[in-house]
Amino acid sequence: MVEEISDFEALEIAVRELAIEKGLFTAEDHRRFTEFAEHIGPTPAARMVAKAWLDPAYKQQCLTDAIAASKAVGVDWLNPTGFGTPSDYTDLRVLEDTPTVHHVVVCTLCSCYPRPILGFQPEWYRTPNYRRRLVRWPRQVLAEFGLSLPAEVEIRVEDSNQKCRFIVMPVRPAGTEGWNEDQLTEIVTRDCLIGVALPKPGVTSNIEMPMHHAKNPAHH
Amino acid sequence: MSQHDRTHHAKIATGKGDPQCFKGTAGGPPKFKVGDRVRIKDLPDIFYTRCQVYTRGAIGEVAVVTHESPAPEDEAWGHVDHSEWFYIIRFKQKDLWPEYPDNFANDTLQTEFSERWLEAV
Repeated sequence: MVEEISDFEALEIAVRELAIEKGLFTAEDHRRFTEFAEHIGPTPAARMVAKAWLDPAYKQQCLTDAIAASKAVGVDWLNPTGFGTPSDYTDLRVLEDTPTVHHVVVCTLCSCYPRPILGFQPEWYRTPNYRRRLVRWPRQVLAEFGLSLPAEVEIRVEDSNQKCRFIVMPVRPAGTEGWNEDQLTEIVTRDCLIGVALPKPGVTSNIEMPMHHAKNPAHH
Repeated sequence: MSQHDRTHHAKIATGKGDPQCFKGTAGGPPKFKVGDRVRIKDLPDIFYTRCQVYTRGAIGEVAVVTHESPAPEDEAWGHVDHSEWFYIIRFKQKDLWPEYPDNFANDTLQTEFSERWLEAV
């Protein structure tokens, strides 16, 4: 069977091979960057939110200079790989939720996403379905994610269409009184940072998966 | 044969960021300030734009004055000599989608424009 590739995959291979031939980067550089990029997750952004919940001065820095604030959680936005491969460049902004305003992020043009601090987009974030419907029917789309908010809460969709990238800073949920930064970080999941979910005590981004033992295990 | 420097963008943006590398290049202060009401113009565009059709003709309010940068409609063609101020504009959803439910009249949407797309109302 012939493996089919999309036009975009063919284009990516062509551009990459040309760039390697031209000496802009090597195949090894490309592999390293791919490995690096695929390992970034939402944890730095989750920690940023947790720190901001605990420290009003840090929260202020997140809201006024998110690029500087991201350094405190180990992300150098302007040189995120640390070995010379530039990021998407761009600017970073934090959208602060309040009890009466809830933010949710989309990019209707393509899939702009704050990758240096949040990792790669989930597949659904890139789909035309999410992109075209979130701007027009945000409450219905959020309901599909299991998030229904009362009419008193203003839903504010952020269409990330230029050179700013956004993360959402949700309201610290009740039931987390006295928690430390590590505990708070665990409940700020990727979807909370995009705005399609709210953090809840007990719902963490590092849930342990159950182990199912094989019925006919291989013997070594 | 003319030589196009394909690392031009990396040279100006590495370590600074883009749009940050265009700071101070708009040739003056921003025309609008936070709170100003503006209408999105319905300008012609050829092949590339980031001004979404759903916003054209709508009236919103400046939420953030963000940065200076060449407009994407120019930058797409490699024209980076002229910068503009950029603004995040906040719209009432009702003003974008007439059929938006009345009981959620508080809902809003924000998105960003370069100055050429905005006119005062």
